[in-house]
Amino acid sequence: MEEILAQLNRVRGIGGSLLVSADGLPMASALRSGTDENDLSATVGELLGAAGRLTQHLGLGSTTLFNAVSDQGGLLLVSTGPAFIVLLIDAGANLALVQIEAKPLIERLATRLAL
Amino acid sequence: METEIERLRKKVENFPSASLYNRLAELARQAGDEIQAETVCRRCIKEFPRSGQAYVILAEIKSAQNKKAEAIHLLLQGIEKDPRSYAAHRLMADLSDNRDQALHHLRQILGFKPNDPATVQRITELGGAVPTGSTTARHRVVAPSGTATGSSSGLQAAIQRPNVVPRPPPALDFAAPLPFPASTHPSPHEPRSVRAATSPPAGTVTTMLRSIGGPKTAVLDALCMEAGVRGACMVDRLGRVMMAKNLPAGQDELLAALSADILKAATATLVSHAAGAPATWVLVAGSGQVLTFSRDHSVSVVVLADPGIRPAMLELRARQALIDLGAA
Repeated sequence: MEEILAQLNRVRGIGGSLLVSADGLPMASALRSGTDENDLSATVGELLGAAGRLTQHLGLGSTTLFNAVSDQGGLLLVSTGPAFIVLLIDAGANLALVQIEAKPLIERLATRLAL
Repeated sequence: METEIERLRKKVENFPSASLYNRLAELARQAGDEIQAETVCRRCIKEFPRSGQAYVILAEIKSAQNKKAEAIHLLLQGIEKDPRSYAAHRLMADLSDNRDQALHHLRQILGFKPNDPATVQRITELGGAVPTGSTTARHRVVAPSGTATGSSSGLQAAIQRPNVVPRPPPALDFAAPLPFPASTHPSPHEPRSVRAATSPPAGTVTTMLRSIGGPKTAVLDALCMEAGVRGACMVDRLGRVMMAKNLPAGQDELLAALSADILKAATATLVSHAAGAPATWVLVAGSGQVLTFSRDHSVSVVVLADPGIRPAMLELRARQALIDLGAA
């Protein structure tokens, strides 16, 4: 798992990656020093909870992808079935390109998790 | 009565809705439990801020307790939420010391309930002219200053001379409600507390525009005309709906409130790795997606769209809507 996350971090624009359960529990991580795995997992868990409430109340099904972008960076959450991959996006990164380049690695991770 | 109240209380706990809260408040009030009625009304206002009925019930309670200024303040809020509330206009007419104000509210009733015998009788008692053939008045809505929906010269005159009741041509006599500022203009004889209570509350314009579908809702038109867009709303930083388009009643508030939750959580996550509050976020789910675009983190456009819709064009439209709102 960590190996795939490390490969994800080599994609241009990605500044760290984390695998969390839908409850926000950390499963694996490859984060830059200074980023606390537990803090990030907890806030992502809260975010997933809020997203789940919205999709449930509006009857939209389950969350498959979430992204949030600010001037100083961004965040990309991708569902891999039982878990979510959290990608920390650097400021000014091309989000579309990041998604395209990260896709095969995310699929590999999803396959690994499904086993 | 007790059983009905208990049944409603359980139902409200499980399936809260404004109508259930109002019914429960009415029953509690009829049973003489004003404290519970007030609690239920306040909870309804908190959970369903668009509902005007709770304000009116609360105003009736305050009026019965001789808290007139408080009742008037609540009634104004109730009328703001629901400009066609019979009970609110009627009670306002009863509570108004100012005859012109009372007549104004009674004439408002005839705008949506033409020839109502009780209202006609009250107007006669007050010595006012009873309008005839008030059907066209249905299309007129009392609007805040500067956003008048009518264009009669009487209305314009009232805006320019807020103390003067306009005397429009006979054909429009019934259809010339005073604009909002005139109806609440304090009389020099009114106590200070009543003057303060009758002043339009802050945020009146946006809320009023939302409830009457005022001209500014047009800023969402282009966005909602994009293929795949189910509806959109404009939301402030606290998750309150400023305006909405093509979203079913209730769904706009739900979308706004839950979007605010997501924004809060996303901000916390981004801040934890030294990025600021997001200007844009997109949530994609199996059968739909929610996209939010904000400006200065104070106002956001929240869009509910079909899955697969590309966000780039929607962002363009949403940003234009935010600019239009700022420029308007």
